[in-house]
Amino acid sequence: MALPLKYNFRNVFVRWRTTAFTVAGIGAVVAVFVLLQALARGIESTGGNTGDPRNILVVRRGSQAESGSLVSRDHFRTLQYFDEIARNETGEPVISAELVMIVSAPRREGNGEANTLIRGITPRGMELRPQAKLTAGRWFSPGHREVVVAERLAKRFAGFEIGGTIKAGPDRLAVVGHFDAAGSAFDSEAWMDADEARSLFDRDQYSSILIRPRDAAAGAALIAKVDQDKRLSLRAEREVDYYAKQTMTAMPFKILGGILGTAMSIGAIFAAMNTMYANVASRTREVGTLRVLGYPRRSVVLCFMLEGGLLAFGGGVLGCGVSLVLDYYVRVRGIFFGTMDFQSFSETVFQFRVSPDLVLQGLIFSVLIGLAGSFLPALRAARLPVISALKSV
Amino acid sequence: MTLSTFTRLVSLPFRLARLLIWRLLWLCNPLTWIECVTRLWVRWFGLSQHAFVIVNAVRNQRRATLTVLSVAVSCGLLVTVMTLQRELTIPPESESASLRLIARNKVSLAQPLPAKQMPLIEKIPGVVAVSPFTYFGGNFREETITSFAQFAVDPVRFRELIVEGKVTEGDYEDFVRDRTSCFVGKDTMDRYQLKVGDRLKFTGTFYPVDLDLKVAAVYSGTVDDRNVFFHHKLLDELTGDLGTVGTWYVRVASADVANDVITRIDQAFENSSAEVRTETERAFQMSFMSMLGNVKVLTMSISAVVVFTLVLVTVSTMSMAIRERFRELAVLKAIGFQRRELFGFILAESFGLAALGALLGIGGAWLFWSHINLQKLTGGFLIYFEVTPRIMATGGIVAALLGILAAVGPSISVARTSVVEGLKTLD
Repeated sequence: MALPLKYNFRNVFVRWRTTAFTVAGIGAVVAVFVLLQALARGIESTGGNTGDPRNILVVRRGSQAESGSLVSRDHFRTLQYFDEIARNETGEPVISAELVMIVSAPRREGNGEANTLIRGITPRGMELRPQAKLTAGRWFSPGHREVVVAERLAKRFAGFEIGGTIKAGPDRLAVVGHFDAAGSAFDSEAWMDADEARSLFDRDQYSSILIRPRDAAAGAALIAKVDQDKRLSLRAEREVDYYAKQTMTAMPFKILGGILGTAMSIGAIFAAMNTMYANVASRTREVGTLRVLGYPRRSVVLCFMLEGGLLAFGGGVLGCGVSLVLDYYVRVRGIFFGTMDFQSFSETVFQFRVSPDLVLQGLIFSVLIGLAGSFLPALRAARLPVISALKSV
Repeated sequence: MTLSTFTRLVSLPFRLARLLIWRLLWLCNPLTWIECVTRLWVRWFGLSQHAFVIVNAVRNQRRATLTVLSVAVSCGLLVTVMTLQRELTIPPESESASLRLIARNKVSLAQPLPAKQMPLIEKIPGVVAVSPFTYFGGNFREETITSFAQFAVDPVRFRELIVEGKVTEGDYEDFVRDRTSCFVGKDTMDRYQLKVGDRLKFTGTFYPVDLDLKVAAVYSGTVDDRNVFFHHKLLDELTGDLGTVGTWYVRVASADVANDVITRIDQAFENSSAEVRTETERAFQMSFMSMLGNVKVLTMSISAVVVFTLVLVTVSTMSMAIRERFRELAVLKAIGFQRRELFGFILAESFGLAALGALLGIGGAWLFWSHINLQKLTGGFLIYFEVTPRIMATGGIVAALLGILAAVGPSISVARTSVVEGLKTLD
C-alpha cells in the first residue's frame, strides 16, 4: 500500500526554508558537473563536425597530427597519379597538398601569446572543404602574402581583423578576409596560399594531403593502397575519422568533471542526509500515525526515499536550469572559449554546449544523490517503534 | 514455526551485524571521544560555559558528524582545486633554472633555428654555456602518446647547463663518448624499471625517424627528473639535416645579467631570416601554461561554487541545530542569559564544528596528496601537487568565516523570538 504522491510533494514544500538550502547545494553540484561535461563536449564536437565523409587525409606514418607530419614532394607527385582520385570539371585530380604551420600571436586581451595554426592551402583544398564560407572581405589571392582568418579565431588575437597583419618572424601577412567553418576545427585556423607558405616558412615538404576519391569503393582501395605501399611510409584515413580521433584535448575537462562531480556529490549526500534525518526526527509522530493506520514499513521507506529523490530532483532542475541559462547567454553573446589543442599545439576555439543528454545525465545524477542521501534516514523512519513514536512530542 | 518467526530467525545475524557496525562507527567517531572527555571534565570540575557548548554541539551526534564531514569534504576539495591551480599556473622554481634561458624562433616553437647561430650566442658577454635543445617528441616502445620528453643536446656543453643534476648511475663520460647513448632521468628509469645498458626505442612523431638509444648514465636532482637527453649529432645524421636545431639552451653567469643577455641575443638576430625570442626557463614554462587558456578563471569559478555549496550546507545545518533547541534557548533567556551570551554559544558551536571539519578536510587533503604518487598516476602531467601552507591557511580562513556566517542567521532568529514564543515552540 503506497502513500499518495501528493503527500510527498506537500511535505517537500511545507518545509521549504530548510530544504531550499539543500536544494541549492545540490543544484550547485549538478551545475558544476554539467558545465564541465559541456566544455568537454564542446571541444569534442569541433572535431566531430570537421571534414567531408568522402575525403581522405594522408599524413606521415607515425605522426599523431598534421602539424607533426611531413610529406615529401615526391610522395605528392606519386599520389597525384593514382587513378582512384576524382577529377573536377577541368579534368584535374581533386588532390590538395597542404602545409600546416604554427605561428605565435599576441592575444587580444593582452595577456601573452598563444600559438595559432596557419594552413597553406590550394584552390583544390578549398573545393574539398565546402564547410568554410567567406563572411567578410575576400579570399587570399595566390602568390601574395595574404591570409584569410576564421572569424572565431580573429576575435581572440590582436591584428587578426581585416586590414591587420600577422607577424611571422621578420615577415608580415596581410589579413584580407574572414571565414566561418560551421563550428568545425577549421574555425581555429588561418588559411593562406600553400606555395607562399612554403617559401615563407622555408619548408621543402608538405604536412598533409587531402584527396577526394571517385567513389566510396575507390576511397577504400586508395586507403589500402597507401597503407600497403612500403615506399610511401604514409598513412591514409578518412578525413572525418582523423578529426573524430583528435579528442585528447577534452580529456582533462572530462577527468576534472568526473572527479569534482564525485567529490562534491559526497558532500551533497551528507547534506541531504542531514536534512532528511532532521525531517524524520521532526515527523516522528506522523510516522507513528501512518504505521498505526496500517501503512507497512516499506511504504514509509518508499515515502522518505521519494521525498529525498524529489528534493534532489529539484536541485537537479535548478542546476540544469543554471547551466542552460549560461549556455543561452554564451550563445546569444557569441562567447567562445579557447584552449591549447594537445595534438596541434595551437589554440583551438570552441563553445560549450549543454545538450539534452547532458541535462538528462545531470538530472539522473541529482536523483541518485537524493536517493543515496535519504536511504539511511528512510530506514530509520521505518524502524521507529510505533508506540513510542506516537508518544513523542 | 510461523513465517514471521522464521524471518526473524533468518534476519537475526543481519541485525546483529548492523548493530555491531553502528556501535563500531560510534566508537571510532572522534566526536564520541570529545563528548566523553567533556562529560568527565564536567563531572570532576563542574560545568563551565565551554563544556556546555561542547556537549551541546555533539549531543545530536549524527547531525554533528554529517556537518563535520560535509565541511571536511568541501574544504578538502577547495584545497585540492587551489593546489591544482598552483600546479598548472606556477611552474616549480629552482635556483639553477633562473640562470637558464631558452631561445626559440620568434615565429613559434615549431619553427626551427639555424645551427650557425651557436657561435654568435656563445660570444655574447655573460653567456657561460650554450647547447642545442631540440624536442624530439617520440613515443616510447609501444606507447601511443608521448609520456616523457626526449631532447637532442650537445653532450659536452649540456653538462654545464644542468649543474644541479647529479649523475647517480653510470658515467657521464660514457654518454659523451657513445653517440647512440642517452642520459636518462631517474624517474623514468624507475617507472619502466630500466637499468644502465638497456636500449630504449622511440618512434618519432615530429621527426620522420626512430631512435634506438642505450642508457649510459642516470641523473637526478633536477626539477623534472623524467627527461631523456641524447646526442644532437645522432638526430642530424638520422634526419640528414645538419643545419637546424629546435631551440637554444643558454646558461648565464648570474641572475643580474640575464635580462641583458636576453636583449642581446634577441638583437643579434633581428631582421635575419630566423628571428629569436629569448626567455628565462621559467617564463618559457609559464607561457606554455598560459596557452592552456584561462585555467585561473576556471579553477577560481569552481572554487567559488565549492565555497558557495559549503556556505549553504553549513548554514542549513546550523539553523536545523538551533531550531531543535529553540525551547532550551528560551529557557536560558528566561533564567537571565543575555542575547550576547546566547550569540556566543551559537557562534562557538558553529565555529567549532566548521573548524573541526576544516581540520579534517585540509589535513586529510594534505596527507592524501603528499602520500600519493600522482606523477605515476597521471603519467607525469601533475608532478608536485604540493599543498602549501598558504593554501592550507586560505582553506582555514574560508572555514572560519563560514563558521561565523552560519551563526548569524540562527542568532538573529533566537534574538527576535520572545521568551514566551520560544517556550511555546514545539520542535
